[in-house]
Amino acid sequence: MHSTFSTRLLSLYGVLFFLFIYLPIGLIFVYSFNSNPINMMVWQSFTFDWYRTIFGFSAEVTEATLYVESTDQLIGAVQNSLIVASVAASLSTLLGTAAALALYRFRVRLEGFYRALMMTPMMMPDIVLGIALLIFFVSIGIDLGVTTIMIGHCTFLISYVFIIVSARLAGMDPSLEEASADLGATPFTTFRRITLPRILPGVMGGLMLAFIISMDDLVITYFISGVDATTLPVFILSMIRRGVKPEINAIASMLLMFSIIVASLGIYLRARSEKRL
Amino acid sequence: MIKSNLPRPRWLQPLMLLSPTTLFLLVFFCGPLAIMVTYSLLEPGIYGGVEWTFYDQNYGRIFGWADGLYEEFDPIYLETFAKSVRLALITVATTLLICYPAAFWISRLPSRTRSICMFLITLPFFVSMIVRLYAWLLILRPTGVINQLLMSLGLISEPLEMMYTEGAVIVGMTYIFLPFMFLPIYASIEKLPGSLIEASQDLGASPVRTFFRVILPLTLPGVISGAIIVFIPSLGNFIVPGLLGGAKVMMVGNLIEQQFLYARNWPFGAALSFMIMAAMLFLLLIYVRVQSRSIGASRGEGV
Repeated sequence: MHSTFSTRLLSLYGVLFFLFIYLPIGLIFVYSFNSNPINMMVWQSFTFDWYRTIFGFSAEVTEATLYVESTDQLIGAVQNSLIVASVAASLSTLLGTAAALALYRFRVRLEGFYRALMMTPMMMPDIVLGIALLIFFVSIGIDLGVTTIMIGHCTFLISYVFIIVSARLAGMDPSLEEASADLGATPFTTFRRITLPRILPGVMGGLMLAFIISMDDLVITYFISGVDATTLPVFILSMIRRGVKPEINAIASMLLMFSIIVASLGIYLRARSEKRL
Repeated sequence: MIKSNLPRPRWLQPLMLLSPTTLFLLVFFCGPLAIMVTYSLLEPGIYGGVEWTFYDQNYGRIFGWADGLYEEFDPIYLETFAKSVRLALITVATTLLICYPAAFWISRLPSRTRSICMFLITLPFFVSMIVRLYAWLLILRPTGVINQLLMSLGLISEPLEMMYTEGAVIVGMTYIFLPFMFLPIYASIEKLPGSLIEASQDLGASPVRTFFRVILPLTLPGVISGAIIVFIPSLGNFIVPGLLGGAKVMMVGNLIEQQFLYARNWPFGAALSFMIMAAMLFLLLIYVRVQSRSIGASRGEGV
């Protein structure tokens, strides 16, 4: 009796826990379709108008409160975000995977040092890293912009990729690689035919997660983006600072959906790669 | 053990794999941090730049040895730092209280449901922080969800002032750092052998006693890891207090942001950042200690 009661209580708690996590972000999504332009949290009727507005189409309810003064700015921010995330995720996946391979497949001197070097960027508070990068770029005379954002993102994305690929490598039996080497394959052939296909799902998972972490980064980008190169999260922050308006719901909902789709894919790939060893 | 079976490779291969990453991080991670620390010991220039002379007054303004001639000591900096530590500690406590029972519950679920739950908990980590905070802006505002609900129920006649309070900042930080606490706690609870709990109960221990004498000590490494991983980003946070705390709840992160974007006193901002970095390095050392000890303990158990 006692144990079923406490089990039920725990289950109820579990449901509340998930409500706490998902209700707030669910609210944004639901109210992004609310047509009430004056009080956006009082439901009036269903509308797509906020989405139409941010893409620059005319809409009925928004004429009086037209808010996104420049759709071009928003599109520019989305473009910057996508470009930065693609380049930073690819580069950090290459660098992180190479480092993981070196540390898990070879005896390396100073292994502890390298491991600490790969992990610390992730632990560094983002405000410290953001400011350090800002001072660094300005004092060596590199103009802030898309390039500096890419470099900045790579520093901490390497850590994430390194951890994901390391987890994959740690669980892999090296006997197949040994067999390949014993049968006379060159190291490169062994890598291409044996190692790479086995770690590929983990690497792809790492790539997607790195992509979405880069897309979502706010603090480091905030400090090193300069005047012209805004990314989507920084753009949303500056919009919120000017005032909460229904259009932000629509932009936030779209970013929300995009993040959820890409991250789901990344988590799925990583989980699959850890199961099938 | 695994490595020793491999044929001894040429030294060139690992070097080629490792050096680009090492070089990249030395230049773009260690380099910037070194320059930041250097900056904190330089004199601020008149027009926002920096003079390359040694200057201990940046730290003097914070810790009290400023001479009062050029720079003045103000206890506000240490007070703000203390307040940030306090808010970060409260965030650690709230995330811990929320996550511990949830992790316990999920660890007892059938494996299929369990992996779905794990997926649902990891997912919000990848949703933009600004979007997740924006949700709380919609909830806590004077015209937000809670106030609308309470007013339509007739419980209050005027909107409650929930924004721009320490409570709002704590709720915001708790919400965004929840997954950081959950994952390490879950990892340590999952490893907990059910037989130990049964043994404790069979021997007549009450559930409370079992929890404090058996379950909690064994999951403590996970709790400590989670606490450190939540504390570090909470301490230097400036986005949450900036959006939900406004000018009323300032944390040390907001002070740093001001030095860089408005006051343009970079050396002083660098000195404040160094304090956060030092706190983080200190905690990281403890973290490594705890980790290696818990690995050692679990190995000892196996033998």
